[in-house]
Amino acid sequence: MRRFFARNAPAYVFLLPWLIGFFLLALGPILASLYLSFTRYDMVNVPEWVGLDNYVYMFTRDRRFWKALDVTFTYVALAVPARLIMALGVAMLLDKGLRTIGLYRAIFYLPSLLGASIAIAILWRQLFAADGVVNQIMATFGIQGASWITNPNTSLYTLVILAMWQFGSPMLIFLAGLRGIPRDLYEAAEIDGTPRWRQFTRITLPLLAVIFFNLVLQTIDAFKTFSSAFIISNGTGAPADSLLFYTVYLFNEAFKFFRMGYASALAWVLLIIIAVFTAVAFFTSKYWVHYENERD
Amino acid sequence: MTKLTRRSMLGAMGAAAAASAFSAIPAWAADRSIRHFWWGNPERDKRTFAVIDVFQKANPAIEVSGETIGWGDYWTKMATQTAGRNMADLVQMDYRFLFEYVRRGALLPLDEHIGKSLMIADFDQGPLEGGKVDGKLYALNIGSNSQVMVHNTRVFQEAGIDADLINWTWDDFAKACETITAKTNGAVKGSDDLSLMIETFESWVRQNGREFYDADGKVTATVDDVASYWQFWADLREKGAVRDADKTVILDPPIAESGIAVGDTAMSHYWSNQLVGIQAVAKDKIGAAMVPHKAGGKPGQFIKPSMFMSLSRDAKDTDAAMAYMNAWVNDPETTAILGLERGIPCSPKVRAALAPNLTEVEKMSVDYFEAIQSRVGPLPLPAPKGAGEVRDAFMRVGTDVVLGNAQAADAATAFIEEAQSIVERAQ
Repeated sequence: MRRFFARNAPAYVFLLPWLIGFFLLALGPILASLYLSFTRYDMVNVPEWVGLDNYVYMFTRDRRFWKALDVTFTYVALAVPARLIMALGVAMLLDKGLRTIGLYRAIFYLPSLLGASIAIAILWRQLFAADGVVNQIMATFGIQGASWITNPNTSLYTLVILAMWQFGSPMLIFLAGLRGIPRDLYEAAEIDGTPRWRQFTRITLPLLAVIFFNLVLQTIDAFKTFSSAFIISNGTGAPADSLLFYTVYLFNEAFKFFRMGYASALAWVLLIIIAVFTAVAFFTSKYWVHYENERD
Repeated sequence: MTKLTRRSMLGAMGAAAAASAFSAIPAWAADRSIRHFWWGNPERDKRTFAVIDVFQKANPAIEVSGETIGWGDYWTKMATQTAGRNMADLVQMDYRFLFEYVRRGALLPLDEHIGKSLMIADFDQGPLEGGKVDGKLYALNIGSNSQVMVHNTRVFQEAGIDADLINWTWDDFAKACETITAKTNGAVKGSDDLSLMIETFESWVRQNGREFYDADGKVTATVDDVASYWQFWADLREKGAVRDADKTVILDPPIAESGIAVGDTAMSHYWSNQLVGIQAVAKDKIGAAMVPHKAGGKPGQFIKPSMFMSLSRDAKDTDAAMAYMNAWVNDPETTAILGLERGIPCSPKVRAALAPNLTEVEKMSVDYFEAIQSRVGPLPLPAPKGAGEVRDAFMRVGTDVVLGNAQAADAATAFIEEAQSIVERAQ
């Protein structure tokens, strides 16, 4: 025990600001929400204990809950691979050792910094509106565009494209990962005459351990998508609930319809869903993630 | 969104300097502050901030800060502040939400202040009634209004529409829409598509002889009511006589984006107090028509308190708040600035004082108000808890009909079922 502390004390000192924040600001509300999820609470009157009612209602009677899951899962299934492929592609292009690499990295990272902001969501709404820029460009090619945002069949895809465009942070991590793959492997492959594509599938992909890290992080991120969906759908999940992301539904239940207890239950279900996904990724990772130093 | 003008900033700094220089001025004098929160539009915000300036000048000891936001976000912000026990001292309240907030204990009754700090004895008592819950006054009427079909008078004249706009029927309305669209070659559509406007639908239900909700708060509107309403608009949509579907499904747009303001359409549904605000953003002169009637039907439209001012549970300095509220409905300078923008005032004195100085659009709205008196029905009972959610459901389900993804009849069945379960769950 003493040796443990002696060895790890500096780490904990450095973690302290985060730990204090976690215990003071996060843990209390988290535990409170667990309690509230078993109550009926309108935020003004005292919470009233209702047992499992919220959870039972959610799974047996709440059609919008299932709709929200449908929208969110579809989004995760499309947006996460799209963003990762985009990020890996750009990272490989930038891994060529160009002299202006720093500049390019900054430029490509920029959308990620802006991505979560309200302004970008509003910009997106303008771009994909009936008389927006996207349709004007398509019109020059003689294609009659639809109103992408206000049509329930296409509105979700505009958000997938937005997610794709914000590939900056996984791209930087991929770039670091690519740098970590020993060059001698590629040299050996070159000498053996291995085609580029096989170098990619046999060397790059298996040794790019950060794929796992990126996948987990991006999946969690995608499940929590809120501000862009909230702004683009006017806070309601419109048109016709096609943008009813889980978090948007949760927010509406809490702050529009005053069902704080029910919203807390929704939050815990989301937590469990994300935890399950992360656990599956962790337990299966040994079959598809390879660390170079495993050979030791 | 507190507005800090240069003047109030200098004023505050000056007051602080004075307070430190002359210790005779009690320090607490500057501590009295109240917050006023309202949903607005540019015109309303301008007038309200002007009123705050006037009140500040007359009551330098009280610091008033105004907070404003559009209708769409107002109730979200209000709910958040209510939950955080951080409501503004004075909040603008709507008839649709009044019961919900009173039932949640978020508002204070005003009865104890009447005759002391709130002088409303000579007001019209009818319009005041709407602010009562369980016999207590929780909300002060700051103007009455009614539904109105706003129309573009230039387009109407050019298309030669000569219908009697007070007594017209839905058939007349549909014909007018088609004529206008044909005469302008589709450049101006006859009307906004009101499929998602539950306020117009409520008139439709009343014309069929029912209320949307009965006295117990149960949904009494029928599947037929909804189906026939959505079908009426679907037919006009098919003829191309109303605004494009992709514009229609944008929910609660600001008035500057409405068909009337943009010039896309010749008609839209609003509340009569909004006439002033719409004229401010419309290029052509606007006029007021009634919501069309059902031939041989009951009156659908009604006169209601357009807005209330309420004292919130979180008000700290109730004396200061009540002084402000009283000035709102009685002070000659204040009421002159407010005019009719929030509706027709219930004080006969204020109305008499305003009469000679009305602008053209204000005069039109007063004339409209007079003209409809005999054609309106009684004020419906306040909506039950969950009414706000039902409104969302109406727009959500209606969107599928507007975009052609659902038939009016099927969607109507789905909506009524959903409305019933929402109301049941909210109780």
